[in-house]
Amino acid sequence: MNALRNYIKSLFLLELFKGMSVTGRYLFRRKFTVQYPEEKAPVSPRFRGLHAQRRYPNGEERCIACKLCEATCPALAITIEAAPREDGQRRTTRYDIDLFKCIYCGFCEESCPVDAIVETRIYEYHFENREDAVMTKDKLLAVGDKYEAQIAADRAAQAPYR
Amino acid sequence: MANEVCFRTLDLDRPWLLEQYQSRGGYEVLSRILKEQTPPSEIIEEVKKSGLRGRGGAGFPTGVKWGFINRDAPGEKYIVCNSDEGEPGTFKDRDILRYNPHQLIEGMAIAAYVIGARRGYNYIRGEFWEPYERFEAALEEAREAGFLGDDILGSGFDFELHAHLGAGAYICGEETALLESIEGKKGQPRFKPPFPAQFGLYGRPTIINNTESLASIPEILRQGGDWFRELGVENSGGTKLFAVSGNVNNPGVFEVRMGMPFAELLELAGGMKEGRQLKAVIPGGSSAPVIPGAQMMDLTMDYDAIQKAGSMLGSGAVIVLDDSNCMVKVLERMSYFYHEESCGQCTPCREGTGWLYRVVHRIETGQGRPEDLDLLDDVATKIPGRTICALGDAAAMPVSGMLRHFRDEFAYHVEHGRCMVGGNGNGNSN
Amino acid sequence: MSEDRATVTIEVDGREIQAKAGDMLINVTDAAGIPIPRFCYHKKLSVAANCRMCLVEVENVPKPLPACATPVNDGMKVYTRSPKAIAAQKGTMEFLLINHPLDCPICDQGGECELQDVAMGYGGDVSRFVEAKRVVPNPDLGPLVSTDMTRCIHCTRCVRFGAEIAGIRELGATGRGEHMRIGTYVEHALNSELSGNIIDVCPVGALTSKPFRFRARAWELTQFDGIAPHDAVGANIHLHVQNGKVMRVVPKENEAINETWISDRDRFSYEGLYSSDRLMQPMLKDNGAWREVEWEEALEAAVNGLRAAMGSDSAQFGTLIAPTSTVEELYLAQKLTRGLGSGNIDHRLRQTDFRSLGDHPPFPWLNGAIADLEDVDAALVIGSHTRKEQPLLAHRLRKAALKGAYVALLNPFEVPLSHDAEQIAVSPASMVAELAAIAKAAGVKATGDLKKRIDGAKPDDRHKAIAQRLRDAGHGRILLGNLAAAHPDYVLLQALASELAQTVGAGLGYLPVAANSVGAAIAGAEAGRLPGWKRTDAAALDAGAMLEKGLRTYLIAGIDPELDCANPAGAVATLAGAECVVALTAYRTPTLEQVADVMLPMALFAETSGTYVNGEGTWQGARGVVAPVGKARPAWKILRVLGNLLGLEGFDYESADAVRSELEAECEGFEPAAGEIELGDAALMLQNDGLVRAGDVPIYAADTLVRRAGALQHTPDATTGFVSLNPTEAARAGLADAREVRVTQGENSVTLPLEIDPAVPDGCVRIPAGVPGSAGLGVPFGAVGLEKG
Repeated sequence: MNALRNYIKSLFLLELFKGMSVTGRYLFRRKFTVQYPEEKAPVSPRFRGLHAQRRYPNGEERCIACKLCEATCPALAITIEAAPREDGQRRTTRYDIDLFKCIYCGFCEESCPVDAIVETRIYEYHFENREDAVMTKDKLLAVGDKYEAQIAADRAAQAPYR
Repeated sequence: MANEVCFRTLDLDRPWLLEQYQSRGGYEVLSRILKEQTPPSEIIEEVKKSGLRGRGGAGFPTGVKWGFINRDAPGEKYIVCNSDEGEPGTFKDRDILRYNPHQLIEGMAIAAYVIGARRGYNYIRGEFWEPYERFEAALEEAREAGFLGDDILGSGFDFELHAHLGAGAYICGEETALLESIEGKKGQPRFKPPFPAQFGLYGRPTIINNTESLASIPEILRQGGDWFRELGVENSGGTKLFAVSGNVNNPGVFEVRMGMPFAELLELAGGMKEGRQLKAVIPGGSSAPVIPGAQMMDLTMDYDAIQKAGSMLGSGAVIVLDDSNCMVKVLERMSYFYHEESCGQCTPCREGTGWLYRVVHRIETGQGRPEDLDLLDDVATKIPGRTICALGDAAAMPVSGMLRHFRDEFAYHVEHGRCMVGGNGNGNSN
Repeated sequence: MSEDRATVTIEVDGREIQAKAGDMLINVTDAAGIPIPRFCYHKKLSVAANCRMCLVEVENVPKPLPACATPVNDGMKVYTRSPKAIAAQKGTMEFLLINHPLDCPICDQGGECELQDVAMGYGGDVSRFVEAKRVVPNPDLGPLVSTDMTRCIHCTRCVRFGAEIAGIRELGATGRGEHMRIGTYVEHALNSELSGNIIDVCPVGALTSKPFRFRARAWELTQFDGIAPHDAVGANIHLHVQNGKVMRVVPKENEAINETWISDRDRFSYEGLYSSDRLMQPMLKDNGAWREVEWEEALEAAVNGLRAAMGSDSAQFGTLIAPTSTVEELYLAQKLTRGLGSGNIDHRLRQTDFRSLGDHPPFPWLNGAIADLEDVDAALVIGSHTRKEQPLLAHRLRKAALKGAYVALLNPFEVPLSHDAEQIAVSPASMVAELAAIAKAAGVKATGDLKKRIDGAKPDDRHKAIAQRLRDAGHGRILLGNLAAAHPDYVLLQALASELAQTVGAGLGYLPVAANSVGAAIAGAEAGRLPGWKRTDAAALDAGAMLEKGLRTYLIAGIDPELDCANPAGAVATLAGAECVVALTAYRTPTLEQVADVMLPMALFAETSGTYVNGEGTWQGARGVVAPVGKARPAWKILRVLGNLLGLEGFDYESADAVRSELEAECEGFEPAAGEIELGDAALMLQNDGLVRAGDVPIYAADTLVRRAGALQHTPDATTGFVSLNPTEAARAGLADAREVRVTQGENSVTLPLEIDPAVPDGCVRIPAGVPGSAGLGVPFGAVGLEKG
């Protein structure tokens, strides 16, 4: 009985038509393939992408070298050295994030008491040299400066849930 | 009925002079004791019998205190008089220093004789310049007349008494802070034990008494302990100076017998001002919890009655508040005082007094929040009993007292941001 | 007193505990391991009972009681965790936190803060305090201690430390209530040599280390044990290391040695490890020019240089080694020197008088335990600026003095002390006469030169009093300090002190000059002494003779010749004239570049394993906890390889421990003997009616490491040199209004700033030694001429 049913199915190409009908149906539906890089998927304000260091509106860097991010980083990707700045304030003299080590868990951001280190929406970046994977303080601040508006908006959007 | 002990020379012309004092039997007791070489234990018994309780505020029996000191211990011992009358509302010792300094000197000399001290200090409040000068003058008179110095009246008893002017810190009225201050250190209370009777001034056994207590001694010994005790009532012997202030017609210091009904004392002080109702009374200086007026009118002025009503007789500073007084404002002023006067040693007092003041101040200025009343209550329970000296207690008690009796007034302030009573709440809106 | 107190039984949280009646509750619970939170209580300080954190409930007592100030009595029932106790503790915590800033992220104490720790257990999660917090300005306490007084919780530990331990009240609390502030009142840098300890006693981040400020977090540091290499105490320390660098030094508790304290010198000298003039690579002088080379080449050059210059005359080789070196280094240095056939080795670089004290002189040590100094009844200190020379020994002496001991000092100038003492300050030329006067007053019988000195003395009341107090003391001690050790009549001072000690029944002790002076004597790094302090008659030159005679070759280890030698100008000239000088050094200095031919970079303390023998004779080993900087190597390894390359026997050590074991075997049976001084012909060397120089070594100039510790060099105690005179002498010399003075000592002269100081006696001029300013002069004690500069 089973053998007969299979024989008929294959004789009339039933499976093929079934498949073609699915294809045919989707041919006329709205497409959801994103044509990256021409098109981009929507990104949540909570997205954890490339890191940045922020500044206060007066231009003062936020980071105070408390080293909590360094302590909390599960991948040991952050390296900080600190010293008194000329005006006596506590500041980092070195703040490196090794992006090869980073697992983008966001703990650094959560542990930061001054919202200095943040993870942005940026996920498109590349390096040509291995050493470029280390985000130094200058690079982090530059990212922060460039995207501050977006970063601030994202923090504000998340604020009610934190 | 009045002016029987400390103020018994008040009716004389310039009563602070030695001759005036002597005209009323001054220095007779001292002379007799020195002549007869009365055993100190007898004097202590007499003082115990009199029921004299410390007039500085704590009300500890003076005779018992004197008994703590080991008279025969070798080395120096000291008698110290606490005239650092800083408690807001209190101004009774000032008038003893002004009008009857010799009775205090005589009392101190007797106390020194009893405990075997050869040196005494009278620590006078920094603001009391006039009383200080008058006391110094009296000391000079007494020295010249041979009642102070070496070999007093040929008895072989040496006693030198010095006046020490404070510098304006309330905390120096605390006995151990007072000792520190005399020693030239920062006025901060010492941890007890050891008590001054074992480890006092310069580490030597020391007795510290209030001015009024010491000034009562000569009269107690002259007329007998029983006489003194019977002036007053059970547990509160003798007379007491009451410094009545506030919204009465005739504020001042009144020496009356213990157990006098408050209503009579109010009458002595001229009664309430025209058209005003008695609202509340703070019966024993600013640190005593407030008692509502109606309740107060039924009380007598003695240790037990006031204590039963939930307050204390303290130093006998009676502050009378009428219906024009805003209780928030009153408490704000008192809290500010304790905030300023905390010595800063113990955490609960240093931080707590400032917190209390700030919250009360906020309520007073209309910035209060509903939860502030519970906060005040809670903070006020976290200070007392957890500090070295009693200033923490003194700062917290008025807060607890006010909230107990006048919580609605505070709640009104929080809700409406202004006083329940009209005017500025100072009681002088007219 | 503690012996006759009854034992009582108390109950804490249902647990029965035995205690001595009258002990404070917190001591009892601490001993039993029951935690009670506290801030103001510190076991070494008096009880203040002001923080109110240690409140506990005691049965039948209505109020909670502070455990730190409540004596235990029999049958007492204590509850540390009852609702009432917890409520009291939490109440206090809330009060402490209302005005404490929430700046833990920028606070150096974060992670090791007592307030943080206790707040974890007793603090609330939300503050009910909505008012503005208190802000307090920060006083500048100098280069060592950084202040953030807003964080202060007014426990007054620092104030009590100053008053009770350091003995100078530099900090105090001013103002009342909330306005109470801790400060110096008139702002000034802390002057105490123990000031760094306030960093440790501060429970919060109000007082923190300035050199360490913001450098690292407590959780990043790895803690290693170490021994402080500066004075004869050998304070036990913890070295805190991050990424192979010593970040800071804190005390390690050792009741017998340093209690819980260390001196500032021990605490901040680590900065010298990273001084910019550290020598990173072996260097060789080629035709007068220095070049960096590899170890092989440098060692070969050193060996060849030594061989060639020495030729067959091994007596032309001498070794000068710093007394701060480890025992292993000292032992290997002497083994190498003696292996080459020379007896010329010495560590007594600052000593000038090497005359013989006979065959069995006393062993130069403290003569007793460090802790015993607390129990002396009377002490006579000869030639020591005690506080600045031996900070922690001075602290022990202070404790004795506070207990009623009589302390007398004989010095070439009056020294600031933190306790009562009888001070005799006389010109160095009169020190022998003064000591002789005390000896005469004590009835010392002597012969020979000593008798001459004693007979000529005229004791006055002070001398008689000192003699009497020493005689009356059950436990008397006579101590010879560094100023005596540098004195041209050291043997006379020693002989007199020894005779005096015997006559009055006191112990004679020495305050050793450096961390390992005692170790050097034991290791045999001393002319005429083999390991184990064994006497040898083999020909040997001491440090003074080596530098005076001038040898053809020298090995110098761990010294700056212009600062570490008694006669700096002479030493530099002699070394410059030698044919070959091999220097084991941690630092590259202009003087070494001038005198040396090979510089071999050596590791410093914390970088090398080694042993220090302190003044009481305790051997304390320490491991190397960080790798030496650059290509530096531990000196014991360098000496070992030099021994190999020189073809000496027995230089095949695998570890520093092996070196130590060999020395210990050689020291078997060694006991520091009391000895006996037989003074031969000993004339008075220092006889001068004019001005005589007294050259003390300032506290922060004592050795190569501390001289390069940046922060210490900015303290009030640091100096590059000065001349100080009393006003009378200044007027007599016509210098009353001078600012600078030209000092001439023999053929040398330098110009130094003048300070008028009434502590300097007539006939004396104080010019510190061991500092750059006086490096151009001669020995620390001698006639000098002054003129306006």
